[in-house]
Amino acid sequence: MSKASTMQKPSMEPRFAGITFFATSHVGDVCGTNGLPLTPNSITIYGRSQILRTFSHPNLCAYLDIIRGKHERTMIVLEYYALSLSSAQCSISEQGIVKLCQQTLQALAYINTFGVVHRCLAPDNILFDSKGNVKLFNYGLYYMTGQGGDVSFPIGNPRYTAPEVFLVDSQTVSGPKVDVWSLGIILAELALGVGQLWPELKLAQLMRKVLSLIHCNSDTSVLSRIAREHSCWTKYESLPKSLVALINSCLQLKPSDRPTPEELLKHPAFLEHDIANLEIHPFERVEGVRGKEHALSSLPLQELFYLWRLAGGDVQAELKKQGLIRTMPTILSVPRLVLLEGNILGKRRDQTSLLDLKIIPLSLDTLALRLSNVPVSAYYPLIETRSEIIQDDDECDAANLPLIIRERDTEYQFRRIVLFRRLLEGYPYTRSAIIREARRDIPPLYRGAVWAALLEVEGDIDAHFIETDKETPTHTDRQIEVDIPRCHQYDELLSSREGHRKFKRVLKAWVETNPQYVYWQGLDSLCAPFIYLNFNNEAKAFACLSAFIPKYLHRFFLKDNSAVIREYLAKFTHIIAFHDPDLSNHLQEIGFIPDLFAIPWFLTMFSHVFPLPKILHLWDQLLLGDASFPLYVGLAILQQHRDALLSSGFNECILLFSDLPEVDIERCLSDSVSLYCCTPRSTTYRQHERVVVKTPSQKNRPHHPDLEMSAQTVAELQAESCPRISGADLLDLLDAVKFPRPKVLVIDVRGPELYNIGSAPGSINIPHTRFDWTAEIPQLPSCPEANTLLQNRGKILVVAGQGDSPQAAQVAQVLLRSGLPRVCILHRGIDVLQLGNLLTKPSST
Amino acid sequence: MANRGGPAQRPNPQTQGKICQFKLVLLGESAVGKSSLVLRFVKGQFHEYQESTIGAAFLTQTVCLEDTTVKFEIWDTAGQERYHSLAPMYYRGAQAAIIVYDITNMDSFGRAKVWVKELQRQASPNIVIALAGNKADLANSRAVECEEAQTYADENGLLFMETSAKTAKNVNEIFLAIAKKLPKNEQASGAGSTNQGRRLQELDGSPKAAGNCCK
Repeated sequence: MSKASTMQKPSMEPRFAGITFFATSHVGDVCGTNGLPLTPNSITIYGRSQILRTFSHPNLCAYLDIIRGKHERTMIVLEYYALSLSSAQCSISEQGIVKLCQQTLQALAYINTFGVVHRCLAPDNILFDSKGNVKLFNYGLYYMTGQGGDVSFPIGNPRYTAPEVFLVDSQTVSGPKVDVWSLGIILAELALGVGQLWPELKLAQLMRKVLSLIHCNSDTSVLSRIAREHSCWTKYESLPKSLVALINSCLQLKPSDRPTPEELLKHPAFLEHDIANLEIHPFERVEGVRGKEHALSSLPLQELFYLWRLAGGDVQAELKKQGLIRTMPTILSVPRLVLLEGNILGKRRDQTSLLDLKIIPLSLDTLALRLSNVPVSAYYPLIETRSEIIQDDDECDAANLPLIIRERDTEYQFRRIVLFRRLLEGYPYTRSAIIREARRDIPPLYRGAVWAALLEVEGDIDAHFIETDKETPTHTDRQIEVDIPRCHQYDELLSSREGHRKFKRVLKAWVETNPQYVYWQGLDSLCAPFIYLNFNNEAKAFACLSAFIPKYLHRFFLKDNSAVIREYLAKFTHIIAFHDPDLSNHLQEIGFIPDLFAIPWFLTMFSHVFPLPKILHLWDQLLLGDASFPLYVGLAILQQHRDALLSSGFNECILLFSDLPEVDIERCLSDSVSLYCCTPRSTTYRQHERVVVKTPSQKNRPHHPDLEMSAQTVAELQAESCPRISGADLLDLLDAVKFPRPKVLVIDVRGPELYNIGSAPGSINIPHTRFDWTAEIPQLPSCPEANTLLQNRGKILVVAGQGDSPQAAQVAQVLLRSGLPRVCILHRGIDVLQLGNLLTKPSST
Repeated sequence: MANRGGPAQRPNPQTQGKICQFKLVLLGESAVGKSSLVLRFVKGQFHEYQESTIGAAFLTQTVCLEDTTVKFEIWDTAGQERYHSLAPMYYRGAQAAIIVYDITNMDSFGRAKVWVKELQRQASPNIVIALAGNKADLANSRAVECEEAQTYADENGLLFMETSAKTAKNVNEIFLAIAKKLPKNEQASGAGSTNQGRRLQELDGSPKAAGNCCK
């Protein structure tokens, strides 16, 4: 017994709790006027409630998550404290009451600025943290249910509900003043020390009682009447005048006479006493003596909840275990009779669908146990200096497992989350460290922020977004409106009404701020990942989209983008030929050209062709690469289906890619990176690429312009089967110091007389005239040089001719047809090597 | 409800006689239901939230017609006006076209008429054109009268049907009607799939290609 108690048992007070309710379900399969089915109310609630997660106020419990269950069930996870005003068993001092009132009003005034009204303010929704401060709970119910419109139960405890709520129909929306009344009743209970008012009344009587208060007038205030009814007149008389005045302001019958929370905060009662340091409760120290706080308590709640779920936490299962979710056998819910028009008769009312206000605290013990062997130092990783004493690299077992598993490993994610939080706090100064860590992986919890950092989103993005016109109707609205309800609609967030509104605003803002561009179908898909990750921050979603497009899709959304797209696709064809000649030859033969299948790939950077989880992983890597990296992703996708493609004809191939087949994204990405790394940069040169101004610190090669790439027309690009390499890249590859084992072989196709005057070091000479160009498919001539060539398979084979004569391209095509990989053409021919003083006299063989 | 109406009848290999292969293209304003019609015809499915088509999609379906088997190679094109420059790549060489409009949207009918004119001017002279007034299940929000479309179709020698990809109404029928109207003699069997690719590419590089988006 003693052993167990002395050991550091990982045990923590619950920090968050779950509540649940049902949304009203639409009767039958009813379609809207546009022919699309109506959005389920639970999805509407889901989208609307996201904003609550951004609320941050010292007197509010934070919303951590909103979860949709089956049958229109919504589950909500909120910050939680065990002590509530209704569970508190001792009386509060008069000054304490004033302070409670002030803190509650501050919280209400805060939510009011977002248009949110509590509407069910009651003692069980007023919690206290360990310092005795007010923490309002469940304040978003009225807002998230569309002012009660999406649920079938009434919102608010009748005892605390303002009388005007009972007098208007259910369509009328309550304003902030109803909460002030509720607060007034709560204050009255506390001040008079009577516990609950009218404890013996039944529900209907209670409502009548509240309405009867209307008979009060200027002579008898509501408070005095309550005091008399509860026979505590003496207590009433003894109350400080300022407190009585405060309560009377709250309990004004006419809403027009009653102040809003904002107005009431200016009440003189709050000035009278120094209440800032006052403790509302004398009993809160009980928590304090429990001893040292668990290290986990230092984590932000959002992280704690995320890790709790990774450690196996399941809100629905917890609620079920606690009896809050009861399931009824399906047979019992079948109606007796269904009319042809869809009317349902004789269905038993399911009691479980009514609102149950029970709060289920979610235990943190499993998580604490799971992370019990994590040293405290791991909570504060060093990001600036690498300590030799503290070896904190790779001590987590999961570090070398596949990405999918790493993302689900509690301890690994704990370390990544803590690290990235600290790095993001230091952004933009920590940008290079963020890039370095992102190469390993990006923790899903902070993906939105990490992407924004990778895209170099900085500055006052909110102001920029606010001043952008997102409302004025334009002629692209119709297209945007028909596209949005079809874009990633399997996702709960993006299919919610709130999601659609955000889509529209961000897209309209983008069109508005980019007058040189137009809205192309596909921009919606491109926008989706950013909205998904920044659902509560449209400005950031917009800033990310605005940074992403110039980086990867420069000029793709011009009104006439054909030259840009054609160039990109021509480069894609070249890259396939460069790395996979067999595949390239087959696809060329059957006419499976990228124009027929790859436009949606590149125009949307794959966001139109993959589901969201795959896009997120793909873009994690894409954002670390440059504008040519997507070409390699495209090639890696083709190569994953290489066997199927090689054995199929045109129809089968195009059918295979009409509905993109299963692609292993992690493998695809590691393949793309290796392909990217072994390809000379200049082979993917595009004239429509955005020119990035190099900073002076970057390596600057002062090359002659002829050594660099220059623009080719689309027709020229399409006429050549292989990519071109710049003189500068070739010089670099020929650098014997850098590459002691040559990586490149130059094939000089000029006549021997020119070749013998001077050529590239280590080059071979196969003159253009040696080929039989009259043959239907010209072959590689048989000569010793051709053998040398075949022996050097795998090296980068640079075909070089005289200037830009077409001979080099022709020979390159023959090499490609013979199945040789890594064939490219020297841009501007062998002459450019003269500029590098690299022409050497070939040694006689 | 959404799955009513299976895919078109597949041929029985034992009884098939002649095999004909036709290239068919779908054109029309965006969100009128082009992809949904094809999906219903080819797979017998219907998705409420059919994703928008970018570029084009390709599908095939075979129907039986007495003694002939007709194989459709269907190019389903993007509807947005901006993708117009890509369209010739798909409709050139097509033997049949379905021009789709949405019966609840008058503008889409106007757009369909523009497509008819373009095909009559640019496409193969013998192309069989069908006009499909889709979303017939939404007849209570109708904006284009059936008679008006029928008159227009008659004047221009088009096949015409009101269809619903959702309820499957007239979907197989319109493809069958096209199959019946197509000439079967010149299309010998054995027009191999590889030829299809060649054909597309050759046409793409032909002098006429100056009119498409690689200009």
